[in-house]
Amino acid sequence: MTALYLIGQAINWAGIAIAAAIVVIVSLVLGVMILLINKYTQVKEDPRIKEVEHCLAGANCGACGYPGCSGFAKALVEGKAKLDSCGQTPTDKRIEISNILGIAVEGNTEPTIAVVGCNGGVRCRDKYDYQGYGDCVSQNLLAGGRKACEVGCMGAGSCADACPYHAIECADGYAHVDPDLCRSCGLCIQTCPKKLIKRIPASAKVYVACSTQCRGKDVMNSCQAGCIACGKCERSCPAGAIHLVNNVPIIDYSKCIHCYKCLEGCPRKCIKYVHHEDEPQPVQAEPAEQK
Amino acid sequence: MDIFAIIVAALFADNFVLSRFLGICPFLGVSKKVNSAVGMGIAVTAVMVITCAVCYPLYVYLLVPLGLEYLEILVFILVIASLVQILEMVLKKFSPGLYSAMGIYLPLVTTNCAILGVAELVIGTVAENTEGAFHMVDVIFGHRVNMWYAYSYGSAVVSGLFYGIGFTLAIVLLAGLRQKADKLHVAKALKGFPITMLAACFMAMAFYVFTLV
Repeated sequence: MTALYLIGQAINWAGIAIAAAIVVIVSLVLGVMILLINKYTQVKEDPRIKEVEHCLAGANCGACGYPGCSGFAKALVEGKAKLDSCGQTPTDKRIEISNILGIAVEGNTEPTIAVVGCNGGVRCRDKYDYQGYGDCVSQNLLAGGRKACEVGCMGAGSCADACPYHAIECADGYAHVDPDLCRSCGLCIQTCPKKLIKRIPASAKVYVACSTQCRGKDVMNSCQAGCIACGKCERSCPAGAIHLVNNVPIIDYSKCIHCYKCLEGCPRKCIKYVHHEDEPQPVQAEPAEQK
Repeated sequence: MDIFAIIVAALFADNFVLSRFLGICPFLGVSKKVNSAVGMGIAVTAVMVITCAVCYPLYVYLLVPLGLEYLEILVFILVIASLVQILEMVLKKFSPGLYSAMGIYLPLVTTNCAILGVAELVIGTVAENTEGAFHMVDVIFGHRVNMWYAYSYGSAVVSGLFYGIGFTLAIVLLAGLRQKADKLHVAKALKGFPITMLAACFMAMAFYVFTLV
């Protein structure tokens, strides 16, 4: 019977049996308790909430104003929220949700992207040398930021920090949005202290990268890249889609025919391509022609 | 007077995070914002109280008479996990507000080492130390330190409560420091998590002073 000896001591079968019995009894009692309480305290949840949540984008960006996508799904089922509050859910999923809830798909479902209405950056003069904490929101507290232009991007990246998709990066002193990554959640729009970021339709090819309402001479004094409200884009647009309002060109994207005449004619180069892929060919071709 | 000693020990001298280095995972993981740190602290405190209140009679009246002290970890973990589950269900049913405030932290707490540490420390030493005082040799300076442990049901629950409050104190302090540190110019290599570790280290050193009193 040597096999039953463990470190020179006989195995106490009765002790093991008692220990095992105690563990089994304790776990059984607890298991039955959980079962009973679970039955007693069951919360009835609308099964549609789970279905709707499954259809939503699932990024939990919070731009709709509800705590995450599950909160938004709950509000949708209860009829408190509108489907349009979510800019990210694709159209087919929207239709699916409206089928689940028995509501009509409403409003403009054209997807949008965000663009930054400034391209000054390092070309825009600084009013003073800022030495504090580097966030745009903090900088803006000190006399409206360090830029001489009232609506100049400070390029310190508050919007880039807020973006859940890492679609924004700051280069040359101002923020750039990557249109392929942007899901138009709107968090950067809420964050930017200068309110420079705006939504445009995803099909748009050009945007106005300046938001100043100052007149030409004032802009010249502070920024080498700002719009001087010369009106050339307004005149050159064959479709009549651009109008100067308060010295800012406003593009009506429903009329835009993607001819790029506004962009080519702009003396300050402050109308820009949304997609980088659209621009390189003419830029690279230029030096070859000069030779 | 004993209760007072337990409270001081649990809050400062024997702080679970900063002197015993238990529960470091939520201490560093959930201390990004003060709000979530408070939620986590309250959840830990609640679970600690329940642990002490339920595991104490189980240990003293079931395991000790049968000579089965070595089963404590197994039984404690079973009991704690199921009780947290039950607490979560009850909260969900009867207090949805409280559930949404601390419900998400409860499952995280279940198998946390700080909780099991409370069960082990407060209850596991109960049989050997009927006087309540317990001598421990200080790691750094080598002198003897008085530690106070529970020796009755009431003091077990009270020490569970105050160990939990001590945890809350530590995590909320660290969350405050972290929020400040995020807004400061810190050397690039230290930005973010490393500076948090340093802050936690200095807090532990500061709390160490309490054990010398």
